[in-house]
Amino acid sequence: MGRNGTALTLTLDGERVAFRRGETIFEVAERHGKEIPTLCYDPRLEPFGGCRLCVVELEGARNPVASCTTKAEPGMVVRTRTASIEVQRRVLMEMVASENRDTDVDPLHGYASQEMATLLDRYDARTGRFDGALSGESRFDDDNPFIKRDYDNCISCYRCVRVCAEQEGDYAISIMNRGFDTKITTEFGGFLNDSACTFCGQCIQTCPTGALGDLKALANRDVPGETETTRTICPYCGVGCSVDVMTRGDQIVGVLPAMDGPANEGALCVKGQFAFDFVHHRERLSTPFVRDLESGKLRPASWDEALDRAATDLRRVVGKHGRESVYAVASGRAPHEAAYMLQRFIRAGLGTNHIDNCSRA
Amino acid sequence: MFGPPPRIALDFSHPKPRDGMPTPTNADLVARWKDEPAPLLPLLHALHERDGHLSEDALRDVSRQLRIPIADLFGIVTFYHHFSRDAGGAERPRVCTGPVCAMRGADVLVASLRAAGHDPQAMPCPGRCDQPVPVIQGDTVLTGRTAATLTSGPSPLPAPPPDGIEECVFAGIRTPGRATLDGYRSQGGYEALTRAVGEMTPDEVIGVVDRSGLAGRGGAGFPTGRKWRAVAEAPGEPRTIVCNADEGEPGCFKDRVLMDHDPHGLVEGMALAAYATGAVRGFIYLRYEYPETFDVLEGAIAEAVAAGLMGDGILGTGFSFDLMVRRGAGAYICGEETSLLNSLEGKHPFPRNRPPFPVTHGYDNLPTVVNNVETLASVPPILARGADWYQGLGRGGHAGTKVISLSGDIARPGNYEVPIGLPLRELLDDWAGGPLPGRCFQAVTMAGLSGGFLGARDLSVTLDEPSIRAKESFLGAGGIMVFDDSRNMIAVTRESMEFFAEESCGKCFPCRIGTQRLVERLDGKGPRDLDAWVDEVTDLSEVMKKTSACGLGQAAPLLTESLLRYFPDQVREFVAVRGPQQKG
Repeated sequence: MGRNGTALTLTLDGERVAFRRGETIFEVAERHGKEIPTLCYDPRLEPFGGCRLCVVELEGARNPVASCTTKAEPGMVVRTRTASIEVQRRVLMEMVASENRDTDVDPLHGYASQEMATLLDRYDARTGRFDGALSGESRFDDDNPFIKRDYDNCISCYRCVRVCAEQEGDYAISIMNRGFDTKITTEFGGFLNDSACTFCGQCIQTCPTGALGDLKALANRDVPGETETTRTICPYCGVGCSVDVMTRGDQIVGVLPAMDGPANEGALCVKGQFAFDFVHHRERLSTPFVRDLESGKLRPASWDEALDRAATDLRRVVGKHGRESVYAVASGRAPHEAAYMLQRFIRAGLGTNHIDNCSRA
Repeated sequence: MFGPPPRIALDFSHPKPRDGMPTPTNADLVARWKDEPAPLLPLLHALHERDGHLSEDALRDVSRQLRIPIADLFGIVTFYHHFSRDAGGAERPRVCTGPVCAMRGADVLVASLRAAGHDPQAMPCPGRCDQPVPVIQGDTVLTGRTAATLTSGPSPLPAPPPDGIEECVFAGIRTPGRATLDGYRSQGGYEALTRAVGEMTPDEVIGVVDRSGLAGRGGAGFPTGRKWRAVAEAPGEPRTIVCNADEGEPGCFKDRVLMDHDPHGLVEGMALAAYATGAVRGFIYLRYEYPETFDVLEGAIAEAVAAGLMGDGILGTGFSFDLMVRRGAGAYICGEETSLLNSLEGKHPFPRNRPPFPVTHGYDNLPTVVNNVETLASVPPILARGADWYQGLGRGGHAGTKVISLSGDIARPGNYEVPIGLPLRELLDDWAGGPLPGRCFQAVTMAGLSGGFLGARDLSVTLDEPSIRAKESFLGAGGIMVFDDSRNMIAVTRESMEFFAEESCGKCFPCRIGTQRLVERLDGKGPRDLDAWVDEVTDLSEVMKKTSACGLGQAAPLLTESLLRYFPDQVREFVAVRGPQQKG
């Protein structure tokens, strides 16, 4: 509503629509189901205005305007999809395709990794026109275990740099040189491990081309089967970040941050993002162990034997020292259900509050 | 008046000897600048000058003390051409390879420097098209054709105008001593300021400027009075006056002559702008390539402060204004006003998204006037002689004058202050002596390079925006480079497009990719089929023009568009000849 109580309206593709003060043309259009293409846009970040794909015709303006950076004003007449705008978008996409080594990447690269390929299809822009030098310079020499830095596929949208600064506050990466020689860099062009990077993986997840990739997930690219996602909560700490765990068959192949997670809105840390490979680790225990009473060494046991042993000894300890003598710590790597059961066991079973979790950070 | 210019041997030793002064430490230099306004660029210059490059150690200290993340600071440093990250980098001479110098033997000079044991680097136009070919090393600028004949000297004075032509900003510039406070005052200098602060309200000052019809002489042409009123009325303090003295447009060297020979004209103009808008601080953002000009401006400001014309309580009134000079570091885009503001603030010098405009969200996000040198220098004469006088200097209903920097294949290159509306042919033939002997004009550029070409058939325009815009070009900052019939227009276009590719900031896709692709196509790559080649160049040009985020990307394709418009035969021959030989 405007200050005098009347609704603010503009004309969007011939239809009069209401908007809220402060909204951009892009936000208004998106709310009304217009599919305006973007590559440098991430709704969590300040609008940047770099890719220019979101240009729309604004009556009275000499040139099309970037809808992501232009605030809606009362009385504007906006056209989001004219023939000439669509031609400009197609040429822009042909130009973008011409600077990269690959136009298609494995979706395991990250959450947004298919954005460019999807738009290339939508605009039928794999024409090979504007052939020329490739931009960017991959840093495969950076042997960190999490982030693939394949800048030959970078399109200089700077979403990685901006998410690092605006969302994470790390300022680990920045923009080096200018023009077609622009590169994404750390301080003095070094490795991520020697920079302020916390390996949260946010840069990977916002990259629209797969120039940045999730190395943990990509290690599973040969696991057979269709990728399914399951919404859950990261178990590592008390924040409660929503994640979409990717699985193929019975195997976890990667973790995606949930952009609509109420606690994290797409953010994750290094543990929630990358520390899932213990699940299928070859050294992970797959059967209970009990300590052999004669040799004092651990040996594999059946669940029945292990549970009997635990029950017997817990009962013995409580009988001798009282229920206050038992304290349980749940593992951050255990399922939430197990953590819940353990606290029920302590609280309801023993009647104490001696329960904790290793992730109580 | 200056006598023969001194001949100077190249002395590129580093660090420069300092007459017994101890070398300042990082901490000394940080302390010197930390609490000054806009400290980053002067601090980086001081460190760069001390060491001959910017070391990791120095940058880490700057990062900590100025609280700029180190990755950001590193990125910012790499943006500027001037800052070297390698030891000894500042010692490398840089040679102009711009379009005019390329025709005047830049390659010969590069070869002779190399033969003399130097490691010359190419440099975009440093604003000396009237003195080809310039070489810059650190703070030294020399000009000449071979390593052995390099000389230094101030900007050449403009030739006197033809009889009956009245000038505004050049009216007093040829008077000996004009650059000193006494010389300036002997011709009525600072009388406009005295009268304004003594007898006029700020609004009255704006009213005179408004009625004079003065508009932005840096090329954008926004009415100056309207801009000042917007700043005066915008909420937020302190307000700032920024003089855009970045003059990076190839073929433009008009602001240099104004500042070198009439610095007080600019200083007084800025004081008037400050009085009119209620600003208390000002910056002159001077392009790095004008080191002598930096000294001239600092000297003029010091004189003005000492005379009570600048600083606290100007002329005994309650009006105070501090003026500082900040030097750029070699980036054409920093002549774009929002990029300039980011550069001043120590940020990555990408242009900002507009709106909001600098009049409300300028330096430090506060109301700011950003005006070109020529615009500000026009104000004292306008206040002294009145709005009607200035209006009447133009022709054909256009107000005022425009300084044109004329260079290239023309008998008398140099700066000319012309009545707006003067026929271009009159300037070329009558004022500047016409083409070189035995030659005829093939094309001229407009707006430096940004307006692309006008072919010979369109030289009938008059020097005003409506006339030139009707030919799909614009007058802009007033640089005109002339190319006669001996020139290969494909080569000229390629060299010009290389400039824009080099200077593209990298923020928006159409400019970053488009300038590169156009250079490649002008360099013999791209489709071998003529129609496909023309289609690609046309599509790239159109998309750049329509969708680029700032003037650089919108203007660069005027080169290729005008090439296709005026010289289809040269294009056809170029594509046909290289076709079978080169890979598409």
